[in-house]
Amino acid sequence: MKNIPTNWGVVVLGACLLVYPMIFSGAFYLDIGVTFLLAAISASAWNIVGGYAGQVSVGHSIFYGFGAYCPLLFYQLFGWPPMAGIPIGIALSIAVAILIGLPTFRLSGHYFSMATIAVAELIRIFTGTWDLVGAAIGLQGPAVARGWWDLTFRGELPYYYIFLVVLALLLFITWLMEQRRFGYYLRAIKTNERAARSLGVPVLQTKIKALALSAVFTSIAGSLYSIKTGFIDPESGFGILVSVQMVIIAALGGAGTLFGPLVGALILIPLQTATNTWFGGGGSGLTFILYGGIIVLIARFEPGGLFDLWDRIAPKRWRRGHAA
Amino acid sequence: MLLEAKNVSKAFGSFRAVAGADLTVDNGDIIGLIGPNGAGKSTFFNCIAGDMPVTTGQIMFDGQDVTRASPEVHAVAGIGRTFQVPATFEDMTVLDNVMVGAFLRHPHRNDAREHARTILELTGLGRLAQQRARSLGTPGRKRIEIARVLATSPRLMLLDEALAGLTPTELLDAIALVRKIHESGVTIVIVEHIMEVIMTLTRRVLVFNQGHVIASGKPDDVVKNEAVIEAYLGRGHHARRR
Amino acid sequence: MLLLQVVVGGLLLGAIYALFSSGLTLIWGMMNVINFAHGEFVMLGMYVALLVVVWLGGGPAAFGTAAAIALFVLGVVVYAGLIRHVMRGPMLAQILSTFGLALLLRYTAFWIFSANFVSLPDTSLSGTINLGGILLPVAQLVAGVVAIAFTIALHLLLTRTNIGSRLLAVSEDRSAAMLMGIRPDRMQALAWGLAGCAAGIAGALMATAYPWSPSVGETFGLIAFVVVAFGGFGSVPGALYAGLIIGLIQAVSAFWFGPIYKDIIVYSLFVALLWLRPQGLMGKA
Repeated sequence: MKNIPTNWGVVVLGACLLVYPMIFSGAFYLDIGVTFLLAAISASAWNIVGGYAGQVSVGHSIFYGFGAYCPLLFYQLFGWPPMAGIPIGIALSIAVAILIGLPTFRLSGHYFSMATIAVAELIRIFTGTWDLVGAAIGLQGPAVARGWWDLTFRGELPYYYIFLVVLALLLFITWLMEQRRFGYYLRAIKTNERAARSLGVPVLQTKIKALALSAVFTSIAGSLYSIKTGFIDPESGFGILVSVQMVIIAALGGAGTLFGPLVGALILIPLQTATNTWFGGGGSGLTFILYGGIIVLIARFEPGGLFDLWDRIAPKRWRRGHAA
Repeated sequence: MLLEAKNVSKAFGSFRAVAGADLTVDNGDIIGLIGPNGAGKSTFFNCIAGDMPVTTGQIMFDGQDVTRASPEVHAVAGIGRTFQVPATFEDMTVLDNVMVGAFLRHPHRNDAREHARTILELTGLGRLAQQRARSLGTPGRKRIEIARVLATSPRLMLLDEALAGLTPTELLDAIALVRKIHESGVTIVIVEHIMEVIMTLTRRVLVFNQGHVIASGKPDDVVKNEAVIEAYLGRGHHARRR
Repeated sequence: MLLLQVVVGGLLLGAIYALFSSGLTLIWGMMNVINFAHGEFVMLGMYVALLVVVWLGGGPAAFGTAAAIALFVLGVVVYAGLIRHVMRGPMLAQILSTFGLALLLRYTAFWIFSANFVSLPDTSLSGTINLGGILLPVAQLVAGVVAIAFTIALHLLLTRTNIGSRLLAVSEDRSAAMLMGIRPDRMQALAWGLAGCAAGIAGALMATAYPWSPSVGETFGLIAFVVVAFGGFGSVPGALYAGLIIGLIQAVSAFWFGPIYKDIIVYSLFVALLWLRPQGLMGKA
């Protein structure tokens, strides 16, 4: 039934991603590729709790920000290689995930969503006032690599392949999750929580685990970002654009499907790059307007994203064997 | 004694939906709860299932106090229930639906799938395993719900109007299924409006009216009870001689 | 004395919070749907007021009415075009719909009006008044008092009029209301219209007394949620008490700890609320 997607499409996609930098080797294309991979990782991470479990976080930048700040913070404070900060970001993210999830998952879904916005903003504002973490100016990473462990590369190529490995790992873990009891329980909770309860599904526990798992990978995505960029500030770490981007990419492609976020990123990242290039400085304002509009359209007409749309309009033969 | 509900009351503000109802269920019983609409039987049912907190009273299951226990705890203890309005997982296949139930006692996927398939065969859903639940009509969905809860290996099964809206043939099939489940050792409490089901399946009946249990006993006796007939006045149900 | 001034100022602002929050609580109580764009409704009310003053030279009555009508219409349109369709669907669609709308409205406003803070040109409500030693801007005093009046008016509308009881009937029990010949769809549209109207009036009132930019919508949205959660979903009186209290807490915190804490305190209050008292002060949770 749900065996390894023997879809030749996945194999082709994987091959394309592998050889992409060899074909499009210019700095511009490489940058898009890296941005795409990072976006796919964050969105896939969000997908675990927002797509599969149906708990819509619109403040996931909380975890991204922790993951982004910790490597650079511990480098600045103690001279550690940025990598060493990654587990700390993860630990923080798990802790906050539990703190948010415990009270809100008992209440209706809107509480959780509101809580994620509130906590994200709280942390963002607070970070902007705290000198230890750079306040509004932010933090920087090593300007020159002291060794390979600093992961400070001059070109983007090494980052591309590191990110690709992380994405593959995340998708593999998500696929595993889909197959096991945990995955079934998540979908049950998303579809009909009351029925799930009556079948013995430990709803609160399961939701929190999903949030924690999602937080872990979102944190890793944030770490990858700050290590690659060598810089982080409250806006790029905890800002609302970070949260919105994760949601829209996953929702556009198909929240709750394995490759939905990937497809969403494939469409949105080039689109975003294009609008930024065309509209120059006004780019990010228009980006938000565009994103807002797209989100409304998705919600109104196709909440299941492109994967669902495909299911509806494609000839029977080509449809997926199952739905999320 | 498998289930004992003592003096259960449920009030919504000043409105008492259930007032001091008692129910004793022994292992192997098959009991019916009947009564006009709004009589409180569904509320009482939901209280026993753990879906609704009781205002007063105590519910013991197999020596365990489940009065304030959540539905999850109920399920683990061995109480399963179906819903009046089918609550299948619409986007999942029939097999997946039942697997969610199976996972309760079979944490590993392959075991759960085996168990689910067995249950599907038992409930006559084998051929429909790969169909999406939403593509089945209401009778199909009700059957999925029964299969799904059966997969949790319950000792007590609470059926909430699980046989409503069926054609006469479907009804006979469904009654046979419930009987088969009962014979496999599951104790059953069934809320129902369809007298045929009550008369043929159940051994004991409780009649609710306005939150109280007004009569209790064998089906044949209860339908001749004056108070019961009065409660149903105007509903078109009348006692049948068998 | 200065503290007293701060307290009164906070209560006056809190009254306006109460007004727009009561719209949100009405919708929530009726339909179990939350409008993430509610803060943006208030923000739009402020800009409508600005446009009326700048283009038409209207006074408070004119721009107040304009904001009320414009936002009433917006509320109904949003309901009919969006909410009605996502209400019964998956949670993802419900949340994304108004969340996306919030982004759309907020950043369109940024694009049109820029991020600069603006205020209304001097109106008949300028100047300060001395009330027993406390100095208050007239506009703030009037805005606060009028806000309370409108909030009470909404409450009376809901509890004392025919249409109000029909709205409440749908809120209590949809099917029963339908059996009584009430059309839930119409009532829900009306509720959204009223919520928009309250937000619009609140915005217009606030515009007379406080400067703003498109960014205020986000904070107002959260304040509204905190007020509604604190006061109890569906309870307008609860929104009134909670609004006043939140306004008070905000003002006093800003006074003691610094203006940047104005927003932090609201967010922190919300988080504390989640942990300590999710069921609120009154009304159903």
